[in-house]
Order: sequence, then structure tokens, then C-alpha cells
Amino acid sequence: MTGARFALRTAWTSLRGRPGRSVLTATGVLAAALVLGVAVTVAYALSTGFDRAARTADLPTVVARFDAEDAAKVDATVRRLPNLAAASYRYEQTDVPLSARGHATPEGVVEVVRGGRRGYAIVAGRDARPGLREAVVERGLATEWGLRVGGSIRVGRLGSVRIVGVSVSPDNVAYPLAKAAHVTLASDDRRFPVDTALLWAKDPSRSDVLVSAARQSSYGLRDLRFLTRAGVQALIGQAAGIVVALLASFAAVAAGLSGVLLGARAQSEVARTLDELGVQRALGLAPGTVVAVHAAHGALVTAPAAALGLAAGALASRTATARVLESLNELAPSWGTTAGLLVVLWAATVALVALTSAWPAWWAARRPPAALLRGGDVTSARPARRGTAFRGGLAALGARLVAARRVRFASVVAVLGAAASVVLLLLALSSLLQRLRDDPATLGKRYQLTTRLPASDRAAVEAIPGVRAAAVRYSADAVGASALGTPLKVIAYSSGDHTEFEAPPLASGRRARGPGEAEVGQGLADALGLRPGSTLAIQPLAPREVRFRVVGVVRALQDEGRVAFVAPQRLRAAGVALDGPMVLRLAPGADRARIARGLAALGAHADAVRGATGDSGAFLDVLASLLRVVAISVALVCLHALVSALALTARERRGAVATLRAAGADGRALRRLLRGAALAVALPAALVAVALEAFLLAPLVARGTAGYADLPLGAGPGQIAAVAGGLVVLAWLAAALTGRRLAREPVVAGLREEA
Amino acid sequence: MTAVVLEARGLVKVHGSGRGERRILDGARLTVSGGELVAIVGRSGSGKSTLLQLLGGLDRPDAGEVTVAGRPVTGASERALSALRRDEIGFVFQFFHLLPELDGEANVLLPATLPGAARGGVARGRALIERLGLRDVAGLRPHQLSGGEQQRFALARALVGDPSLVLADEPIGNLDAAAGDVVLDLLRAIADEGRAVVMVTHQPEASARADRVLELRDGQLVEVPEGRLVET
Repeated sequence: MTGARFALRTAWTSLRGRPGRSVLTATGVLAAALVLGVAVTVAYALSTGFDRAARTADLPTVVARFDAEDAAKVDATVRRLPNLAAASYRYEQTDVPLSARGHATPEGVVEVVRGGRRGYAIVAGRDARPGLREAVVERGLATEWGLRVGGSIRVGRLGSVRIVGVSVSPDNVAYPLAKAAHVTLASDDRRFPVDTALLWAKDPSRSDVLVSAARQSSYGLRDLRFLTRAGVQALIGQAAGIVVALLASFAAVAAGLSGVLLGARAQSEVARTLDELGVQRALGLAPGTVVAVHAAHGALVTAPAAALGLAAGALASRTATARVLESLNELAPSWGTTAGLLVVLWAATVALVALTSAWPAWWAARRPPAALLRGGDVTSARPARRGTAFRGGLAALGARLVAARRVRFASVVAVLGAAASVVLLLLALSSLLQRLRDDPATLGKRYQLTTRLPASDRAAVEAIPGVRAAAVRYSADAVGASALGTPLKVIAYSSGDHTEFEAPPLASGRRARGPGEAEVGQGLADALGLRPGSTLAIQPLAPREVRFRVVGVVRALQDEGRVAFVAPQRLRAAGVALDGPMVLRLAPGADRARIARGLAALGAHADAVRGATGDSGAFLDVLASLLRVVAISVALVCLHALVSALALTARERRGAVATLRAAGADGRALRRLLRGAALAVALPAALVAVALEAFLLAPLVARGTAGYADLPLGAGPGQIAAVAGGLVVLAWLAAALTGRRLAREPVVAGLREEA
Repeated sequence: MTAVVLEARGLVKVHGSGRGERRILDGARLTVSGGELVAIVGRSGSGKSTLLQLLGGLDRPDAGEVTVAGRPVTGASERALSALRRDEIGFVFQFFHLLPELDGEANVLLPATLPGAARGGVARGRALIERLGLRDVAGLRPHQLSGGEQQRFALARALVGDPSLVLADEPIGNLDAAAGDVVLDLLRAIADEGRAVVMVTHQPEASARADRVLELRDGQLVEVPEGRLVET
């Protein structure tokens, strides 16, 4: 018989001989694999969603928008561009009323496409054909309104058209996360004007050349704006970046967590089977064969459990992930890709367990067989201290029993702490999302109300009791003059001083004071290489370029930090049409009803200011459901870590437990003992969790998610108390579960084992 | 002679099944009164330890009845058995079963910390440590103690609950002669205080201290005449 066959056969016999223990081990592997399955498949799906959708949709390298123009004229200009592989054209009509199945929106966007590459993927049905009153609706709209291929939708004055397909285009987030719902029609009428050109570069890495050339040869095109594929990805990625970063760190924690759990289990298994190992060595088995038996044992237990756990994890998270991807107009990986990923993970998990089983066996097999037959411990005995008085009763004894194996104790505390810190991070994240939705102060906004009044009414508004200051907030879209694909937002206040109403923290430099100075967001500074002293040259929707001297860089969360705060004079001088709401900063304790009455007297009404994601409550719900899946799987891991730590301790200390039972300890006493053991693990784990979250995970995730802003991801006292309380409850539960099983075991078996 | 503390009738215990079935106990009977030290002897594998476990409620017989201090052992719930062991029975094992994390004194006081333990256990435990001459080594952990010292701590632990019955399984099986003598003297003294002591042993010097010696033969207990050396 070959060594491998012998190892497999012996391991299989050993597994069948101890079914209970094998099931316990397999449960641990399953729990760890479940978390791994959730974390890795979600992280993979979200982190690759944009690229997948862009590839499938054939997203253009550059999208150029301009005022409606004759198609032939535009095409003649475009054909002369260097590095151009292909181009196609559209006409976009905004604010078109759409209605179907009892739903309606006045903010529909109808895209009339012509021939050529389309730049969107058809995910159901087929593409629209010209002249047949056929429409392709975007997936977000189809899902939200329950539209199907074969149904119909009313499109403005066009009336009812038949839905022949459902599309996904990752150039924007989906309806209703985006306000506008997109419907695509096809036309071959050459007289139809166009206002959008989709440009595909031969070499996408040199898209800047294409944009610069397009800019230079754009004579006659008005309001020309460019958006590169990288710009689109930056804008879209903002929505999922937090979750992806969170899940990526979670996946790393989960992988480490399963490794530690499995390693601890393998060490314990070897310690328990030292006699058997000694007999095998005494019978002449080489250390290598003994190691192979243990590796095979680990692999045999793991193979089915890991397969089950990974598949369950992937299935559990699939629906929630698909909803997030739908909201972002991205595509989920195919079943084949997911299966391939799971197979790789499965192989890695089995290999990890085989290795962690082999390592302590190799360590033990090198010892003389006589030492093994005496049942020596794998870990060396530590020097005893004198005078270990007995205080605290059974709970304290339980704590001592579980802490006796110091390396394992530390690893279980680390595992539990790491898992709990992820839960803490999830809580902090959900609270942050809530604040981003509801609290304007999270974005650094100091005004609480907005209204529609001109700047000339400022004095009248400020005269209303409770209003501390008022100004019109102008906001204009622009692109960097040196990087035309970089979109940015220019914000100016009619009062000239934005800090009264909006003051994101300064990362460097100082506040802008004069009309030629600008504070730029960190995101914009990173994109354009700006720092205090640099020149910010922007191309707004105006005939002329505008330049400012950068005097400060701020950590603004709005628009991914791609913002510039300036005074309005130069924008006006450049011909930028400035418009925006009047914002009101209120005095503390102001009577909002009275202010509303004051505004009503001026012919206006007040709107409360919300946070960054005021219109995306549905998306937050989707994110929350995904976070719940993650949180539940992490909680299961915590419970399993506690139960297996207690079960391992109880099994290893069967003699001690049997001695206690022989002395009269009943189920209540055993539970008290186990509660002490569980709390000894859970309480330091709570401290580890708080420290990990505060000093490692939150800064890491915040930096990875929004390096351009201060993302307040620190957990609050309530959240820390909730996690600590949760751990205590889990400890109680684990003690009850293990105690019940322990009380059913015969006392004599433990005494015999100890002897 | 004081009242009967332990009474066992018709005890049957079968190990294994099918062709491997062995009837370890086959109608064994035993009565032990307070103040009596009874030694049970027999060949290895004859079922001595099994008998002791049945008497102490650590295992359940296939047939027969056991009562300790008038309280039924057979048929009692696990909770009732735990209470019985805590209140009425003290165990002494061949391998001591001291918890290595705790020092000698803490090991002795352990039963006093159990829920429902009678008051005064801690004081009694400390007095026992004094009485057994263990005060100087009470702060040491088991692996720092000699075998004799460990067994004396185990004996003190068995007596903390002030039991009426002490069950000792090969109490000197792991000790040298001198240490064994000390332990046997203590067991004798414990019996002389009015407790019932049942000791399983295969050592003649141990059975020589007993008031009665019973041999477990073919699953039944047979009285061994006084003065006869039992071959084990």
C-alpha cells in the first residue's frame, strides 16, 4: 500500500471512529467557509462589477455632449480625430413624462440612437429597431416599475410604445438612485439632430489625446463637455466604494479567522491523539507518514464542509449583491465565474486545513515515541507560580481552564475580537450612511434651510427672526481645463464667503479670501495634481476658461471631493450662468415655523436640507440588506468560535470536569463554569474589537473608501455597548449549548480519560 | 455498630454486546455501615472500579438497587445524583485528579464552591489541610507535590462536604509504601470517625486495614475470611 493510500485510509478510519468530533470540526470549517463565501463573492462581484458591465455594454472611451447639432456635421468633425476606433451618435431629450403600470415620472430621458455601436448591454429581450415604436428600458426602471419585455410604456407625446428589451449602461447609476429614468428608441432618420457623441479610442490608455484633439477641433459645437470612462468609473465607484472596501477588509479578516480556528483545532486534535501517534511511531511508521495521516484527516473533514459553506455563503449573498449591482447599473458575475472562484477558494481552504493539521503533527512526530506514549502535551509546561489562591468560584475556574492554553486562548480572543470588530464597523457604517442621508452637517454644511429667492432678497430674509445668515449658493458643472475628462463642481456664494455656510475641514493651506482664490477638495487636488500655490484652470459651461489660485485643500465629501469653493465674481465675468437656491443658516434654537411664515410672506417656502444621499433611501435599504447578510454570518462565526473554544476546552479537560461532577457539580454548576470560560474569552475580545475598529479597520476603510474626506467611521459608545452586550449574550448561549452536551456525557468516561 | 450507610442489592452490569458481551456484575450485594472500612479485592478486570462507580452514582446499573444514606441512587435523576454526590459521597481516585491550574488548597475547597454546597465547607477544608499536615504545601500546584501529598489533598477534597460515605479507588495504587501507609492510616481514621469507607484495592497491606474484605468473583461479592491473604 502506498503512503498516500495508507494515510487516507487511516484518516478515514479515524474519522468514522469519532463521528461526534468530526461533525464538530466540520461545523467549524463550514462556519468559516460560509463567511469566506459571503465575503469573497460579494467583494469580487462589487469590485469587478463596473469593468464587467463596461465590457459587456461596450462603454465608450469618451462621451462628448453638446447642444443639438446636425449629425453629418458632427460626424465629419469626429472622423478626423486621431486615435479614434469608432463613433456613434445619440439625441437625448430630458424631462420627458414616462408612465407605465400605474407608475409615472416627469423626469424621463429618451435617448434616440442611430446605427453603430450602442454603448449599452441588452440584458433581456433585444435591441430596438428603427421606426417600429419599440423601446428599450433601463433595468432600474424595469425593476422599479415591474416592466417586462412585451409590455408597453407611455413616452411623452409619442404615446404608448412596446418594450422589446431591457438595457444596462454603466455610465450612470440606475433609476431610482438616479433621478432620471432612461428609455432608448432607435431612429434611422438622418434629419434627426444629435447632441451626444460616443467615441471609442484605438488605444484607450491615450484617451486624453482623443479628448484634447476633440476639444481643439470642436469649432461650432456649443456647450461641449467630455466625460471619460475613468471619470464615469470614479463617479459610479463612489456609491459602492464604502461597501467594497468594507467587504475586502472583511474578507481578509474572515480568511485569517478561518485559518486561526482551523489551526487551533488541528493542534488540539494532535494533542488528543498523542497516544495513537505514539503507537503508530512505535510500530515503525515514519514521521512523514504520521504527518500525512493528519493532513489527510484535515482534508477529509474539510472537503465537504468547505464546499457546503462556500456554496451557502455565495447563495446567501447573491440576491443582496445583485440588488446593489442593479442599483449601480453593473452586472453580476456569471454562475461559471462564481463557481470557478468558489473552486479556487475551496482548494485553498482544504490546503490550508491540511497544512495546519500537518504542522503540529510534524512537530509531535519528531519526539521520541516513548514521550508520545506517555501522553505528553504538545505544548511545553510553563513554570508554575506559587500561591494561586482560589477566588471567584466556578466561573473563575472556567476562566482559568480556558486560559490554560495560552496560545489557543490568545488566538480565540483574536478571532472573536476580529469578528466583533467587523460587526462594530458595520454598525458604524450603517450609522454613517444614516447621517449622510439625514444630517447635512456630516458634509460640512452649516445651513439648515433652502428657499428659492434671488440674492437681492438676502437682507429681507436675514431680517426674519431666527435667521443668522442667508446667501445664494451657486453651483456650476465644469471640467478641468488641462484634463477635460475630469468633471468637477464649482461652488460659490453670493455673499462671497462660503465658510459661513459650508466649511469642510482644511487639509492644507488656508481659507480663500479674495475673488481670485479657491479652496479645492482633496479629490480634485488628487485628480489634477493641485496644492496650495497651484493654479486651478477650469472650463465651465461658458465661452471662457476661468483660473483661480489654489490657497487651500479641503476634505470635502461631496462629489467625491471634486469640488472647488470660489467667490462668484470671476465666474460671472467668464459668462457662467450662475443659479442656485438661497441657503439659510439658522440661529441655535430658531423657530422654524416662524421662519417658514416669514419666507411665505416673501412668496417663498422653506425646504429642509438633507444629507448627501437624500434621494437614495432605496439604495441605502439595499446596502443595509447586504450589510445584514454580512453581520449575520459574522455573528454566526462569533458563536461558533465561542462554542468550539468551550467544546475544545471541555473535551481537553474532561478529566477536570468529571472530577467536578464526581464532587457533585450538576448542570447549573457546569453552566457557571462554562460561562466563566466564555466570558474570559468574550470580554477581552470586546476590548480587542474596540481597539481594532478604532485604530485599524475604521481608518483603513475610511482611507480606502474616501481618502478625499474625513469619514467619521468611529464606533460610538452605544455601538460599543451593543457589541459587548452581544458578545456576552453569545457567551451565555455558547455556555448553555456546551453545558447541555457536557451534562449528558458519562462521568466515568472523563475519569477514565484523565487516568 | 452504627446505621447502614450503603446498601446495594442485585447489581448487574453488562459491558459490550453480542459475542463481546461481558457480565461484569451479576447480582452483587453489599451493605456497609458507618464506621466500617470495607476493602473490595479481585483480579484486574473483575469489575471492582465499575462496582465503585455504580455505588457512587457515577454510572447506572443494568439491574439492581443502591441506596446511600437512605437516598436512592439507582433511578435518580442526574440532578438528584449530583446533589447526592455533593452531600453524601466523597471520592478518592488512584490518579488523584487534582486540577493542575489550582494549588492544593484551592483543589480542596473546590466542592465547597459548588451551587447548593453546605455552609462551612471552606472552614472544614482548611481544618482538613491542617489536620492532614498539608499547610506548608497548600500553596503549591499538583505537579510540585509528591504523590503522597497529592493523595492527601485529594482525601481532604473528598471530606470537605462532610460525606457519610467515602469511596476510594486504588487509593495507594500510585504511591510508594511510606506514602501509602499514611493514606491508609487516614482512611482508617476516617472510618473510625463514623463514616462508611469502601476501598477498592489489590494490595494486601490495604486490605489488611479493613474491617471486612470482599472479593469480587464472577460478578458477585464474596466475603474473605479474616487473616487470609487474597491473591489478586
